[in-house]
Amino acid sequence: MRRALAIVAATGGVLALLAGSPYPLDVQRLATAVAREDDHVTAVELAAWLRGRKPGLRIIDLRTPAEFNDFHLPRAENVAIDALPSTPFRSDETIVLVSAAGGHAAQGWVFLQALGHRNVYFLRGGVQEWTEALKQPAIGRYFGGARRRDGC
Amino acid sequence: MIALAIGIAFGFCLERAGLGDSRKLSGQFYFTDFTVLKVMFSAIVTAALGAFWLARLGVLDLAGVYVPETYLLPQLAGGLLFGAGFVAAGLCPGTSCVAAASGRGDGLMVVLGMFAGVAVTGLAFAPLRHFYESTARGPLTFPQLLHVPYGVVVFAVVALALATFAAAERWERRA
Repeated sequence: MRRALAIVAATGGVLALLAGSPYPLDVQRLATAVAREDDHVTAVELAAWLRGRKPGLRIIDLRTPAEFNDFHLPRAENVAIDALPSTPFRSDETIVLVSAAGGHAAQGWVFLQALGHRNVYFLRGGVQEWTEALKQPAIGRYFGGARRRDGC
Repeated sequence: MIALAIGIAFGFCLERAGLGDSRKLSGQFYFTDFTVLKVMFSAIVTAALGAFWLARLGVLDLAGVYVPETYLLPQLAGGLLFGAGFVAAGLCPGTSCVAAASGRGDGLMVVLGMFAGVAVTGLAFAPLRHFYESTARGPLTFPQLLHVPYGVVVFAVVALALATFAAAERWERRA
């Protein structure tokens, strides 16, 4: 009897090593991801993903339909932030959340992490940083940037 | 009512484990009887595995489990005082209630002594307050303190308990 209990305890202990966090939302893992800056992409990184046609990339724009219609990133889909939890995502997709300045997108990142999605990022600085970065040669007109006066 | 039921069940288990007997408890400190260590470690392993797996399966919300705050020096002093009382009386607060409930005179005296100690501490609390609230560290847990995942701590507790059980049994057989 004692041996059987010891085996049960040992099995439970070994499996605990592999079972992951018992907290529904592993706050420490999220904090580490934020500290390592693994939670976001920059405009230049996202442009490189788009240019390289990264497989499974989905860009989710959380702004209002009016803002989305005014301007949006290539391949972006417009999803309201309160509809984000019910939006289906496949586990092999890379999700990039976009908002006006990055605030809503960062909140959406936490929501999707809480729902168990791991391959999620938000665009740092949002559409504001994207449009600023468009003026840099690293992204350029291919992604909708305006031609600069000096012709670049 | 739930607390009363849990308390009665706890007391029944302590009595069934023989922990209402002060000689049995004192045996722990003289390395002649490891019942206390085995009962306590069994409880710790059951709680550690139970809390971890119930939370992992979504039955228990660990965020709602109260973690007492750590006060390093006061708790160290309190632990030493508690240990000295445990050796002298052969009973701890829980087992003294069990001993008293089962009609043992020493258990009743320890319960009375415990309440007298609580009353004296309460009366002398004003000058003790500064020390009582010193070296506060907040609600510490091993995963936070050691920066390791919860599962690693559970595994370590289980491994330590099983190794301690094996060592205690070997010691008891040799004695």
